[in-house]
Amino acid sequence: MAGEQLALTVLMGVLLVGVFSLVSRYGDIRSYTPIGGQGTGGATSHGHAEKPSGLIRWFTTVDHKDIGILYGLFGTIAFVWGGAAVMLMRLELLAPGYDIMQAQFYNSLLTSHGITMLFLFGTPIIAAFSNYFVPLLIGADDMAFPRINAIAFWLLPPAALLIWAGFFTAPLTGNEIAPAQTSWTMYTPLSAEQVNPGVDLMLLGLHLSGVSATMGAINFIATIFTERGDRVNWANLDIFSWTVLTQSALILFAFPLLGSALVMLMLDRNFATTFFAVDGGSPILWQHLFWFFGHPEVYILVLPPMGLVSWILPKFAGRKLFGFKFVVYSTLAIGVLSFGVWAHHMFSTGIDPRIRASFMAVSLAIAIPSAVKTFNWITTLWNGKIRLTAPMLFCIGFISNFVIGGITGVFLASIPVDLVLHDTYYVVGHFHYIVMGMLAFAAFAAIYYWYPIVTGKMYQRSLAKAHFWLSMVGTNITFFAFLVLGYLGMPRRYASYEFDAAFAPLVQVTNFHQIATAGALILTVGQLIWLWNLISSYYEGPTVQDGDPWDLKDEGMFGREFQWFEAQLARADGGEVDDEVATDGGAPQEGDQTEPSRDDS
Amino acid sequence: MDRDSRTFDRDTLLDLTVNLIPLGIMLFFVVVFLFVNPFGEDRTATLIQMTILVLTFLALTVLTYVSGKVISDSEKELEEMDGIVVSEKVGLDQQPSEEPTEGQSEAGSSD
Repeated sequence: MAGEQLALTVLMGVLLVGVFSLVSRYGDIRSYTPIGGQGTGGATSHGHAEKPSGLIRWFTTVDHKDIGILYGLFGTIAFVWGGAAVMLMRLELLAPGYDIMQAQFYNSLLTSHGITMLFLFGTPIIAAFSNYFVPLLIGADDMAFPRINAIAFWLLPPAALLIWAGFFTAPLTGNEIAPAQTSWTMYTPLSAEQVNPGVDLMLLGLHLSGVSATMGAINFIATIFTERGDRVNWANLDIFSWTVLTQSALILFAFPLLGSALVMLMLDRNFATTFFAVDGGSPILWQHLFWFFGHPEVYILVLPPMGLVSWILPKFAGRKLFGFKFVVYSTLAIGVLSFGVWAHHMFSTGIDPRIRASFMAVSLAIAIPSAVKTFNWITTLWNGKIRLTAPMLFCIGFISNFVIGGITGVFLASIPVDLVLHDTYYVVGHFHYIVMGMLAFAAFAAIYYWYPIVTGKMYQRSLAKAHFWLSMVGTNITFFAFLVLGYLGMPRRYASYEFDAAFAPLVQVTNFHQIATAGALILTVGQLIWLWNLISSYYEGPTVQDGDPWDLKDEGMFGREFQWFEAQLARADGGEVDDEVATDGGAPQEGDQTEPSRDDS
Repeated sequence: MDRDSRTFDRDTLLDLTVNLIPLGIMLFFVVVFLFVNPFGEDRTATLIQMTILVLTFLALTVLTYVSGKVISDSEKELEEMDGIVVSEKVGLDQQPSEEPTEGQSEAGSSD
């Protein structure tokens, strides 16, 4: 036996060495060669000679743009995983009984969907944009710590494998190591008492993703503070970088706390400590620790999307962002207030009513800076020269979804309303309007807006518009149905819903579940079109030869990142370029004398 | 008072009002909770109740003041730098080339 094992080990070693050498020599693989991508390795006129070719380049890169692309690819894969999980769940919910799966598998999908979308899609897709564009927008050569940047990204794939591990190990181990069924909130005592080792793997993966996010956040703070170009200071820092800075500060305070709480939970699970035991520290302690991280996490996920929309929307409205500084100060206000609202997730846990009232007060206060932004976006559109491009459509859809998602949130901040709607589909509808309706919409807007810079190609416009309309209609059908289901009393997290008629109207609930599933199918079709568009346009789309593909110069809206792109194009043509950091091109409009003519967009 | 000797000019103060509203809401509830207490006496709970509001209030006040000060100082710095007053125009002047690009494809136009 020992001899066989040794032989297998040697064979595996030889195989790995062979694969490695094959990969390192495989230079003919279609290289990523956008003009904006700076370098493909090998002999190109505009590349960095030091960058290797093929896959080795991607495994060893420390270029912030490459790492941004890697984050984007990773986020997209996670989005597909999370989307597939939820489609299975929605199909199960078409009818009240257990039709295509049992509760255990539904619970696994539910857990995986939540954690994947928040930690493996949401945070990384934002990091994709911030990695690629923050250094360009602030005139930095790269991130402050390029290697830490690379490490932060490369922690994510193992994190994802650990989080998803149970799905792969369950069939191999006869369900001994099954996927976690804890929901993304991992409430104790459930999560502490489930003996399944898959939960430990998931917790370790989550911990790793938190380390990754924290490293990234430290890097962004250092970059924005210390690497700005000579002519970029706090007064003309762009709005996207402001939101990334605030987000990074939130990550810095929130994620280490999650990490600590996860370690405590793992100790409870494996070493018989009693941090969260009913007779020990109490399950409520877990909820306090989790939500002290969890609520800032919401703003970690929505502040940069707000920044993206604040950056992109004015470009297609032909007006600079109305009340730029209002948006900056309200972003900072949200950052601070987000740490004073966590217990609004715990109104029904029986905590002291006086303490509950304070959390309600701060939750109502945080609605103001959020609403201020909405009014700023609407006012930016007012009397603007609006061009309904795909990025602009997604920005407008973002605002529309935020109005519904935000206002339903204000209702939930009110204790009496929350006590009625807690743990129903109303809550699920509310936060999906935020995470899908805002985060994903802003990501789509940014992907389309910057697609020419990242790929050097232009996407197919009709497909992009089909993607928007299917996403907008699908989102609103699905999540509005959720709100109604919540009013009908449908509890969240259940795989079946065979109600006694005395508790809830089964026929209506079934109908709205079917409407929600139909909406989810529409959404899925939209996302398939999106994927097809991005991939086929990359291979076959028309090459962008103009540094101003959006005609922003005409409106005085030519931003720093497109100035950089234009310089890259000129450099590719062998022209001389001025490497000095250029300031934003947001010139004031005629008759607009109310603001100083500074970089306000 | 001399304009330069003030911490914030009028425009900055106007910008900062955006954060006065949430501060006002929190202050309102502090006062309400001091005078209206339908849940009975409990010093510990009341202390925690007030701490949550007061700490958040103070944190937002400090952050608003500091960020307002930093941004306002940076504005003055920009004004003192030559040519930055009209920063957007400077950005446009620095474009490497205003010549029409060769063979602008259909892709080059907007959506």
